[in-house]
Amino acid sequence: MSKSATRKTRLHSDEVEVDEEPIAVEADSEAFDASTNGHAANGKSRRRATAQSMAAGQRDISVSEFFAKNRHLLGFDNPRKALLTTVKEAVDNSLDACEEAGILPEIWVHIEATGPNRFKVGVQDNGPGIVKAQIPNIFGKLLYGSKFHRLRMSRGQQGIGISAAGMYGVLTTGKPVKVISRIGARKPAHYFEIQIDTKKNKAEILNGGGDGVDIPPGDSGKKMIEKHGIEWIETDHGTRVTIELEAKYQRGRCSVDDYLEQTAIANPHVTVHYLDPDGSTHDYPRAAQTLPPEPKEIKPHPYGVELGRLMTMLKSVKPCTISAFLCDNFSRVSGSVARRICETAKVSTRASTTKIGRHEADALYQAIQNTRIAAPATDCISPIGEQLLLKGLHHVVPAEFYVAATRPPSVYRGNPFLVEAALAYGGTSASVRIPLETLREMLAESDARTLRQFLMNGFSGVGSDATEKILTEAELGNRVSPGKLKKDEIAKLHEAMRSVNLEEGQTMNVLRYANRVPLQFQPGACAITQSIMGTNWRSYGLTQSRGSLPSGPVTIFVHVASVWVPFTSESKEAVASYPEIQKEIRLALQAVGRKLAMYVRRRQKVKQEGERRNIFLRYLGEVATAVHEISGADKKKLYDQLLKVAKRKTAQADIKFDEDGNPILEEEATEDFGDNVLIVVPGAPAS
Amino acid sequence: MARKSRRSTSESRSSPSTATLTLKDKKTLGSLKGVANDVADCAKTGRAPHLDVPSRSLSNVKFNKSRGFLEMGSGKNRRELFNLSQAKAYMQTLLVGSGCKRLIEQGKTTSLRGIYYMLKHSIEGTKEETFDDQEDSDTIIEDVEVTLAALREELHVYASNRGNLVGPLVLNDSGDEIDCTRMGSAGYSIPSIVEPEVIEFKKCTARFILHVEKDTVWRRFSEDKFWLKHNCVVSHGAGQPPRGVRRMLHRMHNELKLPVYCLLDNDPWGYYIYSVIKQGSINLAFESARMGIPDCRYIGLRSKDFERCQLSNSVKINLNDTDVKRAKQIAEYPWFKGKKAWQKEIELMLKNGFKLEVESLISKDISYVTETYVPERLEEKDWLD
Repeated sequence: MSKSATRKTRLHSDEVEVDEEPIAVEADSEAFDASTNGHAANGKSRRRATAQSMAAGQRDISVSEFFAKNRHLLGFDNPRKALLTTVKEAVDNSLDACEEAGILPEIWVHIEATGPNRFKVGVQDNGPGIVKAQIPNIFGKLLYGSKFHRLRMSRGQQGIGISAAGMYGVLTTGKPVKVISRIGARKPAHYFEIQIDTKKNKAEILNGGGDGVDIPPGDSGKKMIEKHGIEWIETDHGTRVTIELEAKYQRGRCSVDDYLEQTAIANPHVTVHYLDPDGSTHDYPRAAQTLPPEPKEIKPHPYGVELGRLMTMLKSVKPCTISAFLCDNFSRVSGSVARRICETAKVSTRASTTKIGRHEADALYQAIQNTRIAAPATDCISPIGEQLLLKGLHHVVPAEFYVAATRPPSVYRGNPFLVEAALAYGGTSASVRIPLETLREMLAESDARTLRQFLMNGFSGVGSDATEKILTEAELGNRVSPGKLKKDEIAKLHEAMRSVNLEEGQTMNVLRYANRVPLQFQPGACAITQSIMGTNWRSYGLTQSRGSLPSGPVTIFVHVASVWVPFTSESKEAVASYPEIQKEIRLALQAVGRKLAMYVRRRQKVKQEGERRNIFLRYLGEVATAVHEISGADKKKLYDQLLKVAKRKTAQADIKFDEDGNPILEEEATEDFGDNVLIVVPGAPAS
Repeated sequence: MARKSRRSTSESRSSPSTATLTLKDKKTLGSLKGVANDVADCAKTGRAPHLDVPSRSLSNVKFNKSRGFLEMGSGKNRRELFNLSQAKAYMQTLLVGSGCKRLIEQGKTTSLRGIYYMLKHSIEGTKEETFDDQEDSDTIIEDVEVTLAALREELHVYASNRGNLVGPLVLNDSGDEIDCTRMGSAGYSIPSIVEPEVIEFKKCTARFILHVEKDTVWRRFSEDKFWLKHNCVVSHGAGQPPRGVRRMLHRMHNELKLPVYCLLDNDPWGYYIYSVIKQGSINLAFESARMGIPDCRYIGLRSKDFERCQLSNSVKINLNDTDVKRAKQIAEYPWFKGKKAWQKEIELMLKNGFKLEVESLISKDISYVTETYVPERLEEKDWLD
């Protein structure tokens, strides 16, 4: 008890410190202003500040301070996004840890409302756990991590995410980040309450006298956990992080629910248990029982290294010959390649790295660019794989037709990367499947100003045309506020959403991924969206107006995997448009597009055949009645006889039809789609 | 069965009674049954049923020079039930057949519009209508006529009245005796069906028939009592004369031995109206034998009338492109081709570059056409044949 009391007081003081910090800066600048004004008043000098007075304000900026001010760079621009980013960073870290340790990941995500606009986010995994000494650094220090310095495909890259989330939590609620981690069944669990010292970019441990608390394994530990109200789901090993933050919970597009659903698609080997703020649980059980192959760490490829980096590397390595340096520190550089580079650069292969000056380094850099070097080894990237993609997509997105394509690895700026695309076609949109109760909740939670906005932003695949149709059907105005709908109006809207055929007005639903992490924001800035819009989908049987996403009941999935995914910003929301990456995305899209075209064409053909038969059947009744009226022939008998003829006639037509375009019979036609395709017969049990 | 209609007085004598079918009705019913039985037979043996509908196009029309009118050739279009583009038409044809059968059996007649409503309903289980508009059913009725080689009246279907006549003629129309000199300003309205069962000629003192194109011109002749002065029947067909008018002219010409003179506009349409009265139309070539009047004559207007009558420039109507095209087409029809006078006439019109309406003569004098133009032409025997 005493411990928690001390924690509270200390915490209080910290809170004050944190709040004061920006004020202090402002005070400084005011001081400047006063001094400059003084000068001006004297009229002696036009200079507002002297080098000396300016020097007083010139000091280090800590990374933490920088990001505390520029939190939007990390994805904390608004409360709603903050919640998602927090969950996302925690889950990404958990998955990376589990996979690196070779453990099939199981993740628990708990979100709980603790007050108005305040939420507690808890994410736990069954990963390897973290050793005691590293816990404060990992969760309490920005730019601290294992993934930045190595070239290996992983979700996290910079070591900012989770600590930034913690920092945001402390900033907005004053509550520390709680971390509990255990590395084995017999080992104690370590419990920390941490907050980040933004000035020093250092973790400050609040509990256990600045040392954390060890919870022994076994029953005594369990009791202790219960007594202190620590949240922990009993596992042999794993880590749980709990952050309380100012946030807003909202369902629909770009929500936590959406993120977890999309994560489940790209990570079919992961099980996620999700407890939402309303207390209902959502489980995404794993569809695959094997981990993806472990991505290998690689050395940088010479083409991807800039001059500055080269110089830094030359300085930091143990002195050796330049030839050995090139061979040891870069991938795809053999003795002969190193010799050729040195020859071009007019540097002796035996020259010591210590003797290489700026001039020589520049020559080496130029020589590297002009020497043919094999592309980097690409086995460092582990794709999801076509089969698992199909499984994952089928698990989460209901559709009729699925196709996936994994491109062979390629290279941009010396970094190997790989693109995968998958596509689900047909089926019903989320807006059709939504239960009335959920719709009511969504309407109440929504911050959209108009109903139109609510529909377009809240549901994937609902474009402006579809919104128009739904609202007309429901006899509701465009500008009605979603929060102010009456009960019967909600029922009407629900009915309209169910009944309106969205197939025509539906826009393609795009799921973007980078290293298995869903990207939910800034679609316009992303190379993936740009490539999709730049592809001509009309030739694949979809409708598309110039420069926009195609429309139709389609969900497309694009995954860019790389040892270093080039994001446009630190918040990792969009993939930068390198021409090499765009080209690969385009090729992957074309691969799935071709299969889609085959399916759409066949579906149309089947539909046409059906229509042909229907037209005959429609008129048979009339013909039989007319004949009966004229000659008194038995109507029923005549109809049946005519029906028989009609069936035979159209069956003949079917065969003819096939012989024209495609000499293969219907039954065999399924196989020539290839093995990267999954067709689900509507109504049949899922395979 | 024997439901008597209000017109029972006439039906007892001239129109088919509901109880007893006339010979014609029996024949029509027989051919209708034949079509129905064909369908049943096909269905039984598993063949796809079809109908052979004689083709009603220029390519299937022959000009019989010795008889002087158009005849339908033997060309036929096959209409199949199991053909996507023909399925609906096939169904409609049988539907019209069944409708006609009902009419015949009940001894009733109905209009083209009536049969459209009689048979129009949505097809079971769909929102599709059997007929979308009357044009659909009108052409199908003509198809049934040619397929069964039965006339429209034999199917108990009629069109709306169009065309009037005036003159010293007494006739019996469905039991009512009518004196066509005493029909007021509007004259006697010629019904769609003028078969002997409906109309019987009682007395006629007229010497010839003057057929004019339009109601407006006819009014002039009627008002000026032209028919009284010249002892003739004056009729009009409101443009292209309907079947009732043509059949009436045919009957008067053949039964009362009256020569027929036509006064029509000097334009391609006027020429074609003349040719329809004389030789029959392409669309209804199968009826030419009972409608064509090969002896009828064209007295005007003529291309030369502009100069002959010294008309003012303001009455000219310039020929447009379609007029020129149509004129050339008409000149190529075999029944115009062999006639030098006609070729000259059309040539002159094309050379003039304008057309003349009968009404243009009014610029000379209100009654110029009745008092000068027509009497002079008849006197001079100046006409085209």
